[in-house]
Amino acid sequence: MIQFEGVAKTYQSGKQEIHALNGIDLTVETGEIYGVIGFSGAGKSSLIRTVNLLERPTTGRVLIQGKDISTLSSKEIRTIRKDIGMIFQHFNLLNSKTVYHNVAMPLLLAKTPKADIEKQVKDLLDFVGLGDQAQKYPDQLSGGQKQRIGIARALATNPSVLLCDEATSALDPQTTKSILDLLRKINKEYNITILLITHEMGVIREICDKVAVLEAGKVIEQGSVFDIFSNPQQPTTKRFVRSVMNDELPESLLLQIQNAKSSNAIYRLQFTGNSVGKPFMSRVSRDFKVDLNVLFGNVTELQGIPYGNLIVEFSGEPSEIGRALSSIRESDIHIEEVNNYVS
Amino acid sequence: MSVNYEQILEALWETVYMTGAAFGFSLLIGFPLGILLVVTRKGHLLENEPISKVLNVVINIFRSVPFIILMVAIIPLTRLIVGTSIGTAAAIVPLVFYAGPYIARLIENSLLEVDKGVIEAAQAMGATPMQIIFRFLIPEALSSLVLALTIAVVGLIGASAMAGAIGGGGLGDLAITYGYQRFDTLVMFITVAILVVLVQGVQSLGNVLSRTVRRS
Repeated sequence: MIQFEGVAKTYQSGKQEIHALNGIDLTVETGEIYGVIGFSGAGKSSLIRTVNLLERPTTGRVLIQGKDISTLSSKEIRTIRKDIGMIFQHFNLLNSKTVYHNVAMPLLLAKTPKADIEKQVKDLLDFVGLGDQAQKYPDQLSGGQKQRIGIARALATNPSVLLCDEATSALDPQTTKSILDLLRKINKEYNITILLITHEMGVIREICDKVAVLEAGKVIEQGSVFDIFSNPQQPTTKRFVRSVMNDELPESLLLQIQNAKSSNAIYRLQFTGNSVGKPFMSRVSRDFKVDLNVLFGNVTELQGIPYGNLIVEFSGEPSEIGRALSSIRESDIHIEEVNNYVS
Repeated sequence: MSVNYEQILEALWETVYMTGAAFGFSLLIGFPLGILLVVTRKGHLLENEPISKVLNVVINIFRSVPFIILMVAIIPLTRLIVGTSIGTAAAIVPLVFYAGPYIARLIENSLLEVDKGVIEAAQAMGATPMQIIFRFLIPEALSSLVLALTIAVVGLIGASAMAGAIGGGGLGDLAITYGYQRFDTLVMFITVAILVVLVQGVQSLGNVLSRTVRRS
């Protein structure tokens, strides 16, 4: 478990003080994948670096398994760092060394016997799918392969925590997906807690259990990925969610709605989990005297749970519409008037 | 020609000897200083402002004195170390004072080229400062270090030619005493030609070596 308690970081830049972090409170439970998202300059990299003390918090504490790490001696810090793997946006591999040597490095530093190193490195390279590349050099590999080496290296000391610093930001979408799959596999098979920072909401949706949105050094919103995606509160969070969910009405449709003088009611319906499978539309129009017209919508998956989002136009007598709406509400579908939604 | 081949060979040997010995000692001094210059910098592994400032000032002082003056200025020290201020051995002392700080700067430059991310990765895996220097910084900079040291050797060959001024001997001395002062153009031509070949050879060797150590 990693706990941030009022973590603040202030840099001195000339006479100016830069507040990178302004009192962060977060708890990352053991075994979960926790994502921190923010635009550049939000303080993400400072935050992740306080966990292995590459950055020291100016005030506040970071606790790992309940232990305040800021009080540790340099030697103790080095010991705890071996229990925290880290991977980087630009991989940070040694270009002068072979893939084998790069992965072996943490073990060499720990003075592991040579025979053990050979076996472990082989296992690690097989695990990340690069068993046949051991004698190559990093500059002979693709970005995705380099990140796999970085992951193998980070896992060499058998850590309980893995920090991912924009680990997929330099990769193309397909490679990103394969790296994220690998991270999920690591999380499942080794029960390693993963804390990642990213500016890509797709990464959060793909593998995270929980998410915190960082803005100007503060956590402006946090919660389960499902809750944040299905019901974002803050404008920045909404922007991030929309970057991947595309639940915004198209321009043309908005105009059409605004120009329509009709009294037809337009609602946004959100389905989650088991309500997705139910044929509510045909049922509602059969049971009540209303016509339903889907203006816009999409169905996606969040953390393995289906999640749907439809903009539906109801036409008919207001009383009938009212009855139809309450019937829909009973089947676990969240309803919102589009006017609220648009504004 | 006013000199014979034995004299030329002897002068060549003196040049090689002066350059080689001076390079060896300069490296012993310059290498650790170069590393210190880097790691004591602000925000680096062993940030230490006093050490960093003092080192920089001292190195700059030595670097700003022209070699010909440095040679004369440290004569008492030379006498203290080798017992005499004249001869090839005596010439090595000022050469070391000249090349040591120079090498320190060259090493500093090369080590600074190493990606900060690599150092960060090293720290994140729990490496000690010593491990970071010897297992990350130096191997990553090795290729560039070899090229930098090649520059130092070439510089030393040039400087050793001036050592003739204090009776240091060598090709430079030969060129001055016979080629210049006795108007023997052939001697001048031969010594310069040998120096050109020497420098070309050193540079080529440096290039090859730099390529081979790029991957270790």
